[in-house]
Amino acid sequence: MSLTVVKPGLQTTLQGSPFSSHRHIGMPAAGAADCLSLALANHLVGEAAGAIAIEITLDDAKFVAEKHSAMALTGAASFFRINGEDQSLHKRIHIKPGDEIHIGPADQGCRSYLAVAGKIDAQSLLGGQSTYLGAGLGGFHGRALQAGDEVQWTGKSEPDPTATKTPIELRPNLSGKYIIRVTAGPEISALTLYSQNKLFEEKFQAGRRANRMGLNLHGIVLEMENDEEMQSAPVFPGTIQCPPDGEPFLLGPDAQTTGGYPRIAQVIRADRHLIGQLRPGSEIQFVKISCQRATEIYRQKLSLLTPWLGAVSLW
Amino acid sequence: MNIVDIHIFDDTLFCQLGDLDAVQAASSALRQQTIWREIVPGLESVAVQFDPAQITPDEASHLLREQLLKPLAAAVPQIEPIAVPVCYDKIFAPDQEWIADKMGMSPEALIAWHSNLSFTVTMLGFMPGFAYLRCQEEIAKIGRLPKPRQQVEAGSIGIIGDQSCIYSFSSPGGWPIIGRTPVQLFRPENNQPALLSANQVVSFRSIDKAEFEKIAEEQYSREPGE
Repeated sequence: MSLTVVKPGLQTTLQGSPFSSHRHIGMPAAGAADCLSLALANHLVGEAAGAIAIEITLDDAKFVAEKHSAMALTGAASFFRINGEDQSLHKRIHIKPGDEIHIGPADQGCRSYLAVAGKIDAQSLLGGQSTYLGAGLGGFHGRALQAGDEVQWTGKSEPDPTATKTPIELRPNLSGKYIIRVTAGPEISALTLYSQNKLFEEKFQAGRRANRMGLNLHGIVLEMENDEEMQSAPVFPGTIQCPPDGEPFLLGPDAQTTGGYPRIAQVIRADRHLIGQLRPGSEIQFVKISCQRATEIYRQKLSLLTPWLGAVSLW
Repeated sequence: MNIVDIHIFDDTLFCQLGDLDAVQAASSALRQQTIWREIVPGLESVAVQFDPAQITPDEASHLLREQLLKPLAAAVPQIEPIAVPVCYDKIFAPDQEWIADKMGMSPEALIAWHSNLSFTVTMLGFMPGFAYLRCQEEIAKIGRLPKPRQQVEAGSIGIIGDQSCIYSFSSPGGWPIIGRTPVQLFRPENNQPALLSANQVVSFRSIDKAEFEKIAEEQYSREPGE
């Protein structure tokens, strides 16, 4: 079974669970930038939360179906049309051979996930199948989809007949404004006390340079206590670093594994899926909490999702 | 082991260990423990990641402290030294003259000098298989390029003084480039995907353009998994 790509949009890749246990050899996480939207899409078609799906970025995208299949779309798309007819997001739909699938550009948010009932063919390496563009590996020949590509899948999962629509209360509310909770980073004191406070008082805007590796944060310029050079140290998706120019940046799923700028904060695990929906201009308010509170929030979030998704983890 | 400080995130711990030997000993020891999802060494610290649905940050921190307090003797495996072939031809070494100038030697002398040095891999990071190297010998500070390049070719060898690096994939970068190796630094299909490992001794063997092309060809025609 397959879908043919007619219009790939800005950047469309195959993404599922991240790579793990290879960061010490420099391998980033990759995987779906918004793991919650991915899990919700996969659930509607009977696939595991981290199964490979199609991640679409900002722009609209078009596909043509080759066979009968079930699919579902979640995330930021402004519309979902089959042969010109509007369909709901967060709902399982059935497509037939020749159907034209049109996924609208993102109104709010940044990424959408198109899941299909079946196992999408993707390069399997390092224990994962997600696309990592930096090294051209995984996913669809290690690259973003292009017009004419055929995304194929095998098998046919049997979706739960009662799980055809995501419950309203579980659908992420995408707006242009985000409250993102963080814990203090190991080098927070590289900032002046004044700037440490400002980081959590002022709002930031996601800059124009935003991609799967990360995004710049505009707003106030942070002041450094000193310009002492630090030794390269581990960084992760969700780490906020501040270079000497005082304009912090937030790391995404494809970010490098080590960095040499002060790590001033870290997005809590429960909120990291939001990073995948940030786009140039998004307004971000960082709220500092304790690690203990972050763990509580994460466990609460999982317990809200479990009745619908089953045992699930976010990354 | 002298644990200076553990910094806690909700799913990651950062342990400041002071020096690279301690980092490498700790990393190998921690790799024996199944609780850690990632063990990532830096130059002076190590990070471990855990599943916060299973254990709390405080529990994880206690566990890490306990594990690091045990004696870590003989934890670092010995790794065979490696000679990496490098072509110093100017087409592969855009900054050779700039570096030679900074070092106060001729490009010819620079090549002879560089291919006689011995380096040790301090860590892998930045990109898959990208290696940071350190030279035992004291080398004058060369520094990074005033303006980073949009594209540094895969295999490029950078040097900023007693620190050196090998780019595993083409990427933007700011290290001055002294030469290029035709050898692939990262093969994801292999059991050990990265060519180099932390603590490995690396020297550079000077090759000409013809040998560069020959090795490059062999590299790309090899069957996966070799």
